[in-house]
Order: sequence, then structure tokens, then C-alpha cells
Amino acid sequence: MKSQWLKQLYRRFLSGSYRSIRTKLLFCFLVVTLIPLLSLGALSYYQSARIINSQFGKYGENAVAQLEQQTSSSLSRMKQMSETIYSYLLDPARADLGNRAPVTYSEIIEKNDFEALLKSLRTDLTAGIYIITPSGYYYGENNLDVTKLGSIPAWQEKPSTFQGIYWLGFYMQDHGIGRAGDSNLPVLGLAVPIHNSSGAQDGSTILIEENAQELLHMFRLFEEDTKAHLTIKASDGRIVYKSASAFTPKDSDMIWDRTLSVNQWTIEARLPAKAFYLSSGIIRSNTILVAVISCILAFGLAYIFSSHFTARIRTLKDSMQKVSFGKLDTRMPIEGRDELGSLDMSFNRMVSGVQTLVQEVEQSERLKKEAELKAFHYQINPHLLFNTLNSIQWKARLEGAEDIRQMLYHLTMVLEGNLDISQELITLGRELRMIEHFLKIQEIRYGAVFHYELHCEEALKRYLIPRMTLQPLFENIFFHGFIDGIGVIELDIREEREELLLTLKDDGAGITAEKLGRLFVPGPRRQGRGGLGVQNADQKFKLHFGPQYGLTVHSTKGEGTTISIRWPKKEERSDGYNQEN
Amino acid sequence: MNKRVSLIVLATTMMVSVLSACGGNDGSAGTASQGGGGSKASKTLRFATWDTGDALKIEQDIAKKFETEHPGTKVQVEAYADGFDQKLAAGFGAANPPDVMYMWDFPTYHQSLEPLDGFADKDKDLNIDDFYKGLFNYGKIDDKLYGIPAGFTTRVVYYNKKLFDEAGIPHPKDGWTWNEFQDIAQKLTDKSKKQYGFGVRAENDTYDLQGFVWSNGSSFISPDGKTIDGYMNSKETADSIQMFGDMVKNGSAVLTGGKGQQSGDDIFKAGKIAMWESGIWPLESFKQAGIDVGTVEIPAFPGKPVKGVLAESALSIAKDSKQKDLAWEFIKFYVSNDSIKMRVADLPVRQSVVNELKKDQDSLYKPFYTMLERSSDTPAFLLNPKWNEVNRQLSAAVESVMHGSNAHDVLNQAVKDSERYLK
Repeated sequence: MKSQWLKQLYRRFLSGSYRSIRTKLLFCFLVVTLIPLLSLGALSYYQSARIINSQFGKYGENAVAQLEQQTSSSLSRMKQMSETIYSYLLDPARADLGNRAPVTYSEIIEKNDFEALLKSLRTDLTAGIYIITPSGYYYGENNLDVTKLGSIPAWQEKPSTFQGIYWLGFYMQDHGIGRAGDSNLPVLGLAVPIHNSSGAQDGSTILIEENAQELLHMFRLFEEDTKAHLTIKASDGRIVYKSASAFTPKDSDMIWDRTLSVNQWTIEARLPAKAFYLSSGIIRSNTILVAVISCILAFGLAYIFSSHFTARIRTLKDSMQKVSFGKLDTRMPIEGRDELGSLDMSFNRMVSGVQTLVQEVEQSERLKKEAELKAFHYQINPHLLFNTLNSIQWKARLEGAEDIRQMLYHLTMVLEGNLDISQELITLGRELRMIEHFLKIQEIRYGAVFHYELHCEEALKRYLIPRMTLQPLFENIFFHGFIDGIGVIELDIREEREELLLTLKDDGAGITAEKLGRLFVPGPRRQGRGGLGVQNADQKFKLHFGPQYGLTVHSTKGEGTTISIRWPKKEERSDGYNQEN
Repeated sequence: MNKRVSLIVLATTMMVSVLSACGGNDGSAGTASQGGGGSKASKTLRFATWDTGDALKIEQDIAKKFETEHPGTKVQVEAYADGFDQKLAAGFGAANPPDVMYMWDFPTYHQSLEPLDGFADKDKDLNIDDFYKGLFNYGKIDDKLYGIPAGFTTRVVYYNKKLFDEAGIPHPKDGWTWNEFQDIAQKLTDKSKKQYGFGVRAENDTYDLQGFVWSNGSSFISPDGKTIDGYMNSKETADSIQMFGDMVKNGSAVLTGGKGQQSGDDIFKAGKIAMWESGIWPLESFKQAGIDVGTVEIPAFPGKPVKGVLAESALSIAKDSKQKDLAWEFIKFYVSNDSIKMRVADLPVRQSVVNELKKDQDSLYKPFYTMLERSSDTPAFLLNPKWNEVNRQLSAAVESVMHGSNAHDVLNQAVKDSERYLK
């Protein structure tokens, strides 16, 4: 299950969608988060570890120094005591102080004086002051059992010829007169053999014991506090004190040591390096823990954020895809007012714009189709019209009415040009031919009372002109310009560089300036028929060739009208389509 | 995005720093919030005692009871034990003595103590008439009362009934003589068993010996406290002390408590001495050790009345005490019937308690009370303020007698050496 999930994750990670922005974002996040995080963590660890190590080191040193001081003070007090006693005993005035049990009055007085001194030397910590003579008699409190002195470990080891002071170290005071084990007070012992060949005390030993409970308690506190292993060694290598815990010294151990100036004992506290760095190790593991947690947190946040971020992008992409498949009603939900939100908004706007556009195009296409159908429908009727006209023409011929037949013929020709809407642009020649037919009809109508003059080079006749542009103009001349068809019509077609210039001139009634001004103004209301042909023609040119082209009208009332039309040269293509020159 | 990243970094940084701050504070945590716990115990009464062990525990219990009956008061029991004199002297010297203390050596300390006549006269609760009359003598200097008796003991002879029965010797009876005593001691000595009839202290407190000296019609010092010659070295004095030296010499008694020697109490407990002279103190321990113990009055010298010596402990108030009224309340409480009943290591100082408990009917306790009636003589230390100096020589002399010296000779020597202190 888990491996499957991992596999899936791996696959997704490698797949294109995840390799892209999300992965980059994720990495960006992690880099930005982890670098300061890890460096901060490392920095805080190193600094606090250094401070703690140095503080702990100093603490240990101070603690050992304190132990040294306490021990020293005990030792020097005892030493001083022994020196006082020694000098008292060396005083020749104390010669009465024998090395046997005093029995006489003066001996006892001496003894009492001496023991009063011993008593006065006692402090709260003193556990015993005895002067043990070779005979087995001793001075001091009456609670010593001389035979039990052997229980002091160092008492036995003490060489008999020892000179100077001899430290017995720590031991349990177990030499009371009562039953053994009565008082188990840990004491620190000092033995001073007396060398005074002339005096009675030669060979006696001063034994001074001090309550070591407090001192040992301090040692134990120190051991508990620092987890260090404490060893006190005498100058001859004898071990005076050793922590109870098992310990193997190593070179890497942290060592605090001090030498007691009183008796050259060395106090050595050894702390395994592991224990010494324990506290900084705790800091380190804490720091690592926090860093790992923060990493996971950062990763999680980054993952959530980036997936949220990319998810929005992906939704947008999916929507675009949908739109590209034609689902134009696709819309993005707007989440937030950020950049992505505005992107969503503009996407929605764009899609709705496209949708409207498509709808408009659809509408116009539909209208066009309808128009075409309508046109097709209209096309059917001319056939009936032409067939009927032909039948009438034939009937007229059979009846011998030649001028009617002639009229019908020309009418047919004009109508054919008029009603053939398959082509919008036709050749100039064809338009001119239709004009001929139209004029023929007018001629039959009015008689040969007008004069028509055409100036057009044969080469120009192949250029194109919009269908049914000239005929309305001619019609206008006959209906508005001429009276009873009498007048002169001049049509002149020239080429001017890439353009054609057509000038239609008549000598009819002309147009009033007021009417002329209204001629090109579009408006719903038009007066009479006049002007419709002109405007129509002008629009046709503008539609086919551009707004810069079209026709201009010059007219003077009573003198005639001149219409000039300008349009570009355009030839009919061989395949039947129009093509620009 | 940038905002969010920086927020995360900030959060994690804070987390790290908070954690490291926690780590750094470990050492100093827990030092605060001490003190401020001192509730209503506004008054602290210091009470100094020389007792240790069970006796001390009883005294602490009494102090606790006093605390519950006097809310807002704390009694600080200071057990000076062996260093009692030293510490007390130091306390007086520094004008910082305990408020209430055990006291016996009034001649030495009375100048530092508060006279209690005023308190005792005014306070009917104390019921001063209930005390054994003789007890007040010890606490009076120049007719001023400095201590209220808290406990006392007289001295009797303990004997091991089993050893008497084994030897077929009848148990001693009140009114016996020193001759009978010595006889019995001889008979009960069996050196093969390291068993002796009597135990003699190697280092006697001369105070305790006064009973014998008085019984022999003498004393260490003249009644006016001015002369020792003819008293301390009189024949009667010397004889009474010599007697013990002789018993050691002839083997019917063993020296105890000296160098390399067990204490007499311990030997008696071990059943190795048949008779032992002491106060009330070891009685409980003898019973606990399983000794079938009997008590009897001190023997008499032929034709002379037996005299006893009284060891008394009293309670005093320091002159420098700041709360004498409270101290007086405590003393009153300490010598009330209830408290006296709690204290079994001493003999009750009140007759009513003795009557109630029928102590004087109990054969074990009766000799203590009959000896009390014989304790009318005034001890030497009350007669002369320089007695302590004289005592040094006397002690040495007595000790040498126990080691075989002639009592008459050494006492003469001691008197000679001591005379200068009395001038």
C-alpha cells in the first residue's frame, strides 16, 4: 500500500505535470526555508554547545577546586592540631607525661592538663585525638580500644620507621571501646609518629581523626552532579579515595585535577568524554529534531501551497483545453483576487467574447444563406418572364409586328443583364452593350430624337465594372434630364494610370444645387425616385473598390449634368473570378 | 509567496530559539521560588539541652506539643550534647544565648541568667508548693532563684539479682553498711569469669563522691565554703575514698570507664559486675538489656547516717533573651504534670505526679525517693565559686587513689595545691 503510494508519487513526480512549476516551487520553497533554518539551527547548536561545554568545564573545575579547598582545610586543621600537640609534647616541662598509665597524683595532674589541652583543640568536626604510647596506654578521650586500631587499613601499612606525618586517608571509625560496629562514622585520619629520643613519648603516635561525613557527602554530591569519577591519590601513589562506581580511565576523558598543598594529595576527577558532551549532545539532538520537524513542516506547507497554486493553473489549462474543443460555455471559478484570479477573470472574459463573436458569425451566415435562398427563389421567376417574353416575341413575329418584337428583344436583353445576379462585377463591354439595348428601347419609345456618343477604346472594355451601375444613371437622364427624350448624351471612358475615369455628360435639365446637396445624404426618406440611382451606383463602387472611389456629380440647372466615376482597373480572371490588377 | 516563506522561516526560527532558550535555562531553573514560605511562625524560641538520644527525642516531642498549644510559636531545640558548656559559654559571650536552657552549674552562669523569683511568685499556675522542697536550693544563688527544677536524680546501688541468687546471697536491704557491701563484693567476684562484685569509676566526678564523704561525717569544704584543709583531706574523707581504691586493689571491684575500659553501665549490662552505683539514667537501659535489676539505698558507715547527693537539672532563662515571657511559658509547660509524665529519664519533680504514678511505692524507684530525703547537704560547688579550680586537684587525687595511691597522702597534696585558689 505504502510502496504503491510511493511509486505513484514517484511516477507523478517524473510525469510532465509535476516536473514543471509545482516541482520548481517545491524546491524553491525548500531551499528558501531550509538554508536559513539549517544554518540557524547549526549556529545555535554550536554556540550553545560551546557555551555549555565551557561553563560545564568551568563548573567542574570550580567544583574540584572547592573539594580541594574543603579537603585542604580539613587536612591543614588536622596537621596544625598535630603540630600543636607535637610541640606540647616536645616541651621539656612535660617530662612527667609518661608513656605508661599515670597512677600518681602528679602524673594524673599532668595527664588531666594534657587532656584538657586536647579537649580544647577539638572542633565540631573532630572525631578523635589520641596519643598512643608504645605501651598501649593512650591519652585522649576514654573511648579508644587500642587493639582495634588495626582495623584502620592504613594503620598497618604504615612503616614503623616512618618519619613525619602520615595520612591514613578515609576509613570508618571502628575502634571504639564498645562493641564493634557501634559507631560507623567515616573519618579522615592522620598519624604522626613522635621522634624524641630524650623524651618519654619517643615512639608514640599522635592519631587525629576528623569527621569526614560532610567531606564524603560533598564528594558524592560532586559525583552525582557531574557524573565524574573521583580519585584522590597520595603522593606515593596510594589511593586515598575512589568513587564507588566502576570506571575505566580513557585518554579521551575530561580531567580536572588539583594537588593539595598540605600533603601533595592529588584530586583527580575524570569524566568520560561522552558524559561531558552529554548536555551538548542533548542540545544537538534537540536541534536536529526541531530541524527535521521544521523541514517536514516546510515541505508539507510547500507541498500544500504549490499544489494549490498549480492546481489552479491546471484547472485553467483544462478549461482552455475544453474551450479549444468547442465548449465555449466553460467558465473558471474566481478564487481570490490575486494574479491567478485576474487571469481567470480575463480568461472568462475572452471566452465569453469568443462566444458572442461566434454567435454573431453564425447569425450572419444564417442570414446570408437565407438571402441566397431568396435570390435563388427570385431567379426562378425571370425564367418564366423570359419564356413568356420570348413567346410574345415569337407571336409578334408571326403577327408581323416587327417593332414590338424589336422592343421585346431589347427589353429581354436589358432584363437579362438586370436579373443575372450571379456576377456582381461584369466587363465594361457587357455593361455598354446593355446600355445599347436600353437606348434602343428608348429610341423605340421616343423616336430617334436623342444623340448618344460613346468614346471608349476597345482595350478598356475588358475591365470590370459593377453590374447595373450605368443603366440607372441613363434612366435618370431620360426621366429627369430630358423632356420627351430629346438631348445629347456623351459617355467618355479613359484610363488614367491604374484607374479608369468615366464621364457621363448630358445637356438635360440639370439638378438644382439644393437637390444636389441632398443627393448623397443617406436618409430614410427620399423624395421621389431621383437620386436613388446615383447613390446606389456610388455605393456599389465604394463597396467593391474602397471608399476613395465612387462618383461625383456636377450639374448646373438648365444646362445639364456631368457625372464622373473613378475606379481601379480590374480584369476578369480566366476562371471566372474577379482578380485585382 | 514571499510572505508565506518568510513566515515559515520566522516561525521555525522562533521555535529553534525558544527550544535553545529552554535548554540554556535548565541549569538555573528551580532556584527561584524559595522563601516566601515562612508562614505565621513569627516567634522562635531557642531551647538548649545537653541530652541526646531518647531523652532528646522526648524533649523534642514536648517542644512540638508546646508549639501546637501556642500557635505562631516555634521551638528550636538545640542539642549541644558534649559541647554544652562550650556552646553555652560561647552563646553568652556573643550575647546570643538560647532563650531557655538546661542548667545545673548556677555558680558559674548565674550572672548570665534571669532571676525567676518574679515569675514564680506572680504565677500561681506554677503551683510551686508541689515541687520537692529541696530541689530549689540548687537553683538559688544569693537567695535569688535562677532555675526551675525540671528533673533530678539521687544515687542508689543497682544490683544484679541473678548473680546474687546464683551465689546464694540475700538481696541487700536499705540500711546496710559498707562492710556488708565489701563482703558481698568479695563473694560475688569470680575472676575466672571476669566477674566482679563492684565497678569503680577510674575517673570519678567528685560531685558524685560527696554522698559517701557526707555519709562518713565529712565534706570537701567547710560549710562556710572558705576552708578545705581539714575537710577535703580529713581522715573520714580519705577513708571513704580509700575504700574504693582498696576494693580495686583487692580485686573485688573492677575499674571502669578508663582508658581501654568499658563503662560501668556496659559491664553491668553484660552481667559482669554484681553491683553498680549510679543515678536513675541507666535504669531503662538495664531493663532493656534484660538484667533482673534491683535498687537499694547507698550503704551506711557504721553508726553514721546515710547521706545522698542530688543531681538536678533545672531550666533557666537567659538574661539576654528577647522573649522572657514566652520563655517562662515554655518552662511552665515543661514542668507541668503532663510534660513530667512524658519525661521518663528523670525523676518527677512534682510530688503530685509521684503520688499519681505511685513511683515511691515501686521498689525500683523507692530508694531514689528515700535517698532524696537524705540529700540535705549542700554540694561544694554551691559553697565556693572557685570550686572548679579546686576540683581539678581533687579529681586527680581521687583518680590516683583508684590507681593505688594512698588517699591521705594525695588528698593532702591536693589541698596544698588548691589552697591558693581559695585566697
